Amino acid sequence: MLGYISRRLLMSIPVLIGILLVTFVLARLIPGDPCKAMLGEKASPAVCERFKRIHGLDQPIYVQFVVYAGQIVQGDFGKSIRFSRPVSKILIERLPLTIELALGGLIVALIVGVGLGVISAMRHNTGVDVITMIAANIGISMPVFWLGLMLAYAFALLLKGTPFWLPPSGRLTAGLVSTPFFEVWGWIAAKDSAREAFYNFIANHFIFNALITGDWKIFNDAIRHMILPVITLSTIPMAIIARMTRSSLLEVMGRDYVRTARAKGAGEPRVMTRHALRNALLPVVTIVGLQMGGLLGGAVLTETVFGLAGVGRMLFEAITARDYPIIQAFTVVIAVFYMLINLVVDLSYGYLDPRIRIE
Amino acid sequence: MSRIKLIGSAAAVVSSVFLAGLFLAGPAAAFTGKSVSAANCDYGGKIKSIEATAEFNVRFTLCAPDPAFTAKAAFTPFGIQPEEHLAATGGGGDILENPIGTGPWKLQKWSRGDSIIFKRFDDYWGKKPVYETLVIRWSDSGAGRLIELRSGTVDQITNPSPDDYESIQNDASLKFIPVSNPNILYLAMTNTFKPFDNVRVRQAIAMGIDRQRIVDNFFPSGSEVASHFTPCSIDNGCEGKTWYDFDPELARAILHDAGYPNGFKTKIFFRDVFRGYLPEPSIVAVEFQTQLKDNLGIEAEVVVMESGQFIDESTNGRLDGFYLLGWGADYPHVTNFLDFHFGEKNPQFGKTHPAIYEILKEASTISDKAVARPLYVKANNTIRDLVPMVPIAHGASASAALAGVKNAHFRPFGAPLFHLADPGKDTFVFMQNAEPISMYCADETDGESLSVCQQVVEPLLGYAIDSGTTEPRVATGCTGNSDATVFNCTIRKGVKFHDGSSLDANDVIASWAAGIDAKNPNHKGNTGAFEYYTYLWDNLINAE
Amino acid sequence: MIGTSLKRSAEAFAELQDEETLLRSPTTLWKTALGRLFRRKTGIVGMILVGFMLFLAIAAPLIAPHDPLNVLIGKEDGVRKRSAPCIHMFGCDTAKPQHILGVDGNVRDLLSRIIYGARVSLSIGFTTVAFAVTFGVILGAIAGYWGGWIDNIIMRVMDVILGFPSLLLAIAIVAVLGPGIRNALLAIAIVTLPAYARVMRASVLTIKELDYIAASKVVGSSKLRILLLRVLPNALTPIVVLSTLGIAGAILDAAGLSFLGLGAQPPTPEWGSMLGSERNQVFSAPHLVFFPGFAIMITVLGFNLLGDGMRDALDPRLND
Repeated sequence: MLGYISRRLLMSIPVLIGILLVTFVLARLIPGDPCKAMLGEKASPAVCERFKRIHGLDQPIYVQFVVYAGQIVQGDFGKSIRFSRPVSKILIERLPLTIELALGGLIVALIVGVGLGVISAMRHNTGVDVITMIAANIGISMPVFWLGLMLAYAFALLLKGTPFWLPPSGRLTAGLVSTPFFEVWGWIAAKDSAREAFYNFIANHFIFNALITGDWKIFNDAIRHMILPVITLSTIPMAIIARMTRSSLLEVMGRDYVRTARAKGAGEPRVMTRHALRNALLPVVTIVGLQMGGLLGGAVLTETVFGLAGVGRMLFEAITARDYPIIQAFTVVIAVFYMLINLVVDLSYGYLDPRIRIE
Repeated sequence: MSRIKLIGSAAAVVSSVFLAGLFLAGPAAAFTGKSVSAANCDYGGKIKSIEATAEFNVRFTLCAPDPAFTAKAAFTPFGIQPEEHLAATGGGGDILENPIGTGPWKLQKWSRGDSIIFKRFDDYWGKKPVYETLVIRWSDSGAGRLIELRSGTVDQITNPSPDDYESIQNDASLKFIPVSNPNILYLAMTNTFKPFDNVRVRQAIAMGIDRQRIVDNFFPSGSEVASHFTPCSIDNGCEGKTWYDFDPELARAILHDAGYPNGFKTKIFFRDVFRGYLPEPSIVAVEFQTQLKDNLGIEAEVVVMESGQFIDESTNGRLDGFYLLGWGADYPHVTNFLDFHFGEKNPQFGKTHPAIYEILKEASTISDKAVARPLYVKANNTIRDLVPMVPIAHGASASAALAGVKNAHFRPFGAPLFHLADPGKDTFVFMQNAEPISMYCADETDGESLSVCQQVVEPLLGYAIDSGTTEPRVATGCTGNSDATVFNCTIRKGVKFHDGSSLDANDVIASWAAGIDAKNPNHKGNTGAFEYYTYLWDNLINAE
Repeated sequence: MIGTSLKRSAEAFAELQDEETLLRSPTTLWKTALGRLFRRKTGIVGMILVGFMLFLAIAAPLIAPHDPLNVLIGKEDGVRKRSAPCIHMFGCDTAKPQHILGVDGNVRDLLSRIIYGARVSLSIGFTTVAFAVTFGVILGAIAGYWGGWIDNIIMRVMDVILGFPSLLLAIAIVAVLGPGIRNALLAIAIVTLPAYARVMRASVLTIKELDYIAASKVVGSSKLRILLLRVLPNALTPIVVLSTLGIAGAILDAAGLSFLGLGAQPPTPEWGSMLGSERNQVFSAPHLVFFPGFAIMITVLGFNLLGDGMRDALDPRLND
């Protein structure tokens, strides 16, 4: 097991280097440069010459890469060209929102998806099956930005004045501020230390932060702002989980041990839960893990429609602004997350299904 | 006895003179004014020196006459911060998110990505806000901003979508606020590429576009067809003959004579970015394509370019074809429009025309508008004859607010003065297009940063609530000499910064020096470009 | 994007193809599969939707009331930009020109643009997938057959592509190449081909395992013959399923890129760009946002249902 893990980690290193290299080169291949992108129609050649020199962009590409690689190895992600702030700080501000969004989306997708999958498997090849499968498929057939706009219109405008009203954008109501847990509990961390960064990272998960400090006002407010984006984001994984549950359950229900259980006289619900569902859910578990990775980087459209300051949207803006340090750092971090999740999923698959062991 | 009397009276005289001198010289230590200056005027910039001649007086000495000086000095990037704060932060890093100013609002918290919260500054020198909290939020879609306004979560928004204007005007719970920031949309041509090098071709195109149809169909109500490049609200902007009338037969005849009886093939480049002068870029681009084909037989392929690349290529005159670009006024003076675009050094239309730039150079030194007028008549007529581009429209835009907000407004120059409005409650929420990049506006150019900085940091002068007239801010006034080469600004007494310190002339010097002098220790900023210092004053002192 | 989990389930599908399945006669497999497909209701619904869209695409010049690029300013009276739908049969004033789905921002008939949009979207879907499948299959087959360091390199490159969030990688590629349909197609194809490569490689590896088993079992027939006539066609069935689902994904991705302004350029009638350019008018002219989005939805839905139906029909485990 340990050998497997270390082999996998070792194999990921060249891939990570490859990703870093590709990002580095690809970002600089985009025509135009950060100066023109930032200053727009007011930019002038003299100003941009100076700009390039200040940010080290007038050096040849391989020199820039060597400098950057050196920084990365020391854990320094560099400074954003657009904001002149350390990229790690921006990452700590942005990543928690995307994590909350992705987790929320997955939980909703799991509950609804498994439910739909079970219903349609039990009523295999009937009208109910077709309807539930169409409902599930609509999730992956609908443009996410379209759904987001329609939901915002419905809940923020049409339902205004009703208790069902939901805010159309933002993370908290204007004027409300989430007090970080370390301020509430009086924990101090040195300025600009790793511990402070860690505390900030946790505290920026507003829902979790409000939960552990007992701040119910912020907790409710944050959750209400998350409902529409989470629903929008969950439609895709929901559909995939529903389909996977259905096909996996159908396959398992045809298996010998289920037939045996039925022959022994067990009632249908018992057959379902004790025998069929537990085994059928194995592949679903792996799907769920993989969706998490995809959601981290792929939420850019949802974040755009609902005005949420997440990682995907920052990456998209950084591409437009040619903010190379942000493009590079964010991509690598997402890739690392994704790889770790992949590894955990593969290991858990082996753990959950004794037939599939890793040699 | 008389000797003692003599000594006694001498001592009395001396001590009274001494005491009188002490009294007249003022309390505490004498004030040492600082200054920043260029060695000589060869560096190409407009500013020779800025000196604190007294505790509450600053003198600007210019290399060449600049009648637009006060108009420019009221612009947000020239805001004043305490010299201690600049020194402590080195003009970079912390100052980007912790500005200290004299404005009616002080920064409480910037939740990155979400909102910025300001609290009323109770020691403000001017009219204090009647409410306590100002919150700035943002959303990049007009429809999104309108939903927020309608659902009551925000009090005022910028730029609702033009198609929503009618429904806002008909909605009693909302207030429609027309915005008249002067701008211009133009159809550009680069004369270093064929067939745009032929002035007859350019003239034909000038007559072959039905600009009224474009404004009627694709611009929000309140927009106008451009009679000249510069909007008429700017002094000397509309002097000279108005633009050609739409005359497709004449246009085709001219094109025929120029050697293109069947038109020609080309491209029309644009970027899909919302601006007041071009609210719907792709739709207008297709409209141009249609008109060029129908009226002149010119086949233009529509090409979208990504914004950064588009700016790079177009402003350097590298686009072979038409391109759509425009300009929004920074400061209320005709030089902001004409000199920037038709000056000697601007490559965006190809080769520059001495017939135009020589006149503009001369006119920019004349401070009396009436005296300068005949020159601008000549300049505009020459532009009309040479057609470096076709001016199309001055785009109207709008803001919207909840009906209950008293004095909700939007200035033609600068962001709203929120401290003059009254939302009827304790908090005012304003939603703009995007998040500010930083709050150190000496080194920013995006409108979103500028509108936020203004609430906290004030320049010497500012723009009025309903026009481009400059009015006092931390300076009670700036008077220029007769040929606009020296300007004396009197600083208001008793103004406090948000950290409690008092404003004096050295703070003004420190703030300006950090921007205008490339070798100043506080010249760091965000981009390091100090774009507005560079382009409004022609160059930075001690620039490499 | 959906690629990753589709890849995973298709891989699982490929790995479960055993000796018996791979050695089956392909014609009988397809005959039985087609029969089963017709009996599955979801597959039928899918086929109907796809068929309808194909019909629209092919018959566009005959059914569309206007040319999709025809700007109607000055040519029709009583029509303003973004006019709401006017259907004479449902009571719209007969003096006004009829536009069943209304009129867009450039005063062009929306119904015609949606019908012609079927051509654009379907051709995007087919072309992208064709490209991705071709290169993916070739790379996967090479990797699986040769093994060793070639396999390693190819699979690491696929891993690098998969390590990026796919929409963002597509955006970056289009940013480098410049906006436009062709570049968007290329970007989507690059981003989706690792899935096909992996599936093909899995199939080829399973085939290689069977090499000696099959050889020992078969008397008289050449190994190569069995490989080409029986095994390879069967190994392609997961690819077929994946492609159908891939067309659905490609149409959605292209719409997403066009929505962001990076795909189809004006005045091309592509559903995603129609949505994107009108998204600020969602409350004042909702028909301009609703119908293109709806068209995308039913097309993609059709392909998804069809792909699902095909997988059910072809999966040996479900049908024995």
